[in-house]
Amino acid sequence: DSRIQYERVGADVTMKCGSMDWDAAVTWTANGTDIDDSHLNGSYLILKNVDLTRSGQYSCYEGSSWHLKYQTYLKVGVPPKEPVLMCRSNNYPKGFYCSWHLPSPTYIPNSFNISVIHGTREMVCEKDIFPKNRCHIRYLQLFSTVKYKVTLTVTNALGKNSTTLTFDEFAIVKPDPPESVVAKPVPNNPRRLEVAWQNPSSWPDPESFPLKFFLRYRPLILDQWQHVELSDGTSHTITDAYAGKEYIIQVAAKDNDIGTWSDWSVAVHATPWTEEPKHLTTEVQITETTSTSTSSFMPPPTTKICDKGAG
Amino acid sequence: MAAADTPSAALRRRDLCSRGIRLARKMRSDVADLLDIYVEQQGLDASISVAAVEGVPVAAADRWDEQTGAQRLLDNLAAYRAFRALLAQMLEELREELGSADAALGQALAAVLLQVSAFAYHLEELLQLESRGPPAEEGSGLPAPPHLSLFEQKLRGLGVLRELAQWAVRSVRDLRQLAKHGSGSGPASGPAES
Repeated sequence: DSRIQYERVGADVTMKCGSMDWDAAVTWTANGTDIDDSHLNGSYLILKNVDLTRSGQYSCYEGSSWHLKYQTYLKVGVPPKEPVLMCRSNNYPKGFYCSWHLPSPTYIPNSFNISVIHGTREMVCEKDIFPKNRCHIRYLQLFSTVKYKVTLTVTNALGKNSTTLTFDEFAIVKPDPPESVVAKPVPNNPRRLEVAWQNPSSWPDPESFPLKFFLRYRPLILDQWQHVELSDGTSHTITDAYAGKEYIIQVAAKDNDIGTWSDWSVAVHATPWTEEPKHLTTEVQITETTSTSTSSFMPPPTTKICDKGAG
Repeated sequence: MAAADTPSAALRRRDLCSRGIRLARKMRSDVADLLDIYVEQQGLDASISVAAVEGVPVAAADRWDEQTGAQRLLDNLAAYRAFRALLAQMLEELREELGSADAALGQALAAVLLQVSAFAYHLEELLQLESRGPPAEEGSGLPAPPHLSLFEQKLRGLGVLRELAQWAVRSVRDLRQLAKHGSGSGPASGPAES
C-alpha cells in the first residue's frame, strides 16, 4: 500500500521497519539509494530536522532476504498561512466572484473550502474549473443593507487556516477596464484627438446599469496626466493636445452610482494631425532655370504645391 | 390606446424619469453626507450592524428585474411615504434630545426630509401618468414609535438612514427601467433566479 507521510520542515522523523523488531538487521533506502547506518537506531530510521530535500520514497528491507518490509512516501512541508481572499463584482448585478491565494507555498497539497453567508442565507459559490482558486456567487437579492460574509478555510495535512471578508453589496462593484480603445487624429485639426472605446464585455447591461468613464492622456514627453470624467457615452474628443506630439491615452470605468473605478485600460498612442510639409516651388524658379537657354519671356511667379505622388 | 401608451405620455414619462433619477442621485449623495454627520454626532461606530428596523421599508429586493413598472412605482411610493414619516419622527426626537445644540445634524436631516417629500410627490406624478393614480395614503403615517432607550433610538435612526441610502440607489435603477420599458414588466439583466 502506497503510504504517504507528511512531516513539517524542521521536524525529527522516526520510521519503524514495519513489524520488524528493533534489533532486526535491515537496510533502508531513500529513492532507491541506501541510507548509511549513521541514520539508524537499531532498525529504526531517524531523520533529524528534515527539510524539503528529505521528501521522497523510503523503503525498508529485511537484512538477509531483502524482503520489502515497509515503504512510505515522505512529504515535507508546512501548514498553510492565512490565505489572501478577494471578492469583486465585475458583472453587476449578475453576481460576484471570490478568488484566493496563499501568501507562501506549503509544498504539500491543500484543500480550500469557502462559505458565503448573506444574512441568514448560505449562498452557493460555484467553483471555476480554471482558475481553480476562484468561484462565483449569483446575487439573489439586490439593494440589500445586509452585509455579505465570506469565509475561506484552507487545510492540509499539517494544519489549517482561514480568513473572513465582510462587505456591502455595493462596495465590491468594480467593472473591468473599457475595451477596444482607439485614438486617432482629426484631419485638419492639429490639436485634436478622437478617442473611442467600448463597455467591458463582462458588464451585462450597460443600459440599465450605465457606466461612467475617466480618460487620462499625456504627451509621451511629459509625466503629468490630464484627466476628464465623462458621465455617458463611449467617445471623447481631446481638443487641447500639443500639436505634433505623440500621446498616450487610457480609460477607466465605474458604475454610475456605486462601487469603485476599474483598472486603467490598455494604453493607446496617437499623434494629432499635422499639416503636410509643403515643397514650395514657384513658377519663377522654373522659368529662370529654363529662360537662360531660350527666350526672355518672364511669366508672373505662381506657387505650385507639388503632389508628392507626381514626383 | 391607454393614456399611458401615447407617444406624448412616453415622452412625458421619460422626462419625469430622468428628472426623478437626478433627484434620487442628489438625495443619495445628501443621505450619504447625512449618515456621516449622524454617525459622528450620535457617537456611533460606522461599521456597527443594525438589525432590520420595524416599520422601515427594506430596499433589498429578490427578483428585482422581474418587477413591472407599476410595481416599481408603487413600491417606491410606499417606501418614500414611510421615510417621510420616519424622518419627521427623527427630526422631532432630535430636537427634543438635542434642542438646537445640533443645528448641523438637524438641518441636514430637514434637507433630506424635504427631498424625500419632493421625490414622493414626483412618484405620484409618474403614477398619475400611468393613469393609475397614486394610492391614498393610509392613516396619518406611521404608528407611534416604540419606547426605546436613547441608544436604541440612535440605532434605529441609523437603520432608517442606511435603508434610505439603499432605496435612493434602487430608485435610480427603477426609474431607469421605467424609462426603458414603460409601465409594463421589462427583463433587465438582474440577479439570477434562485
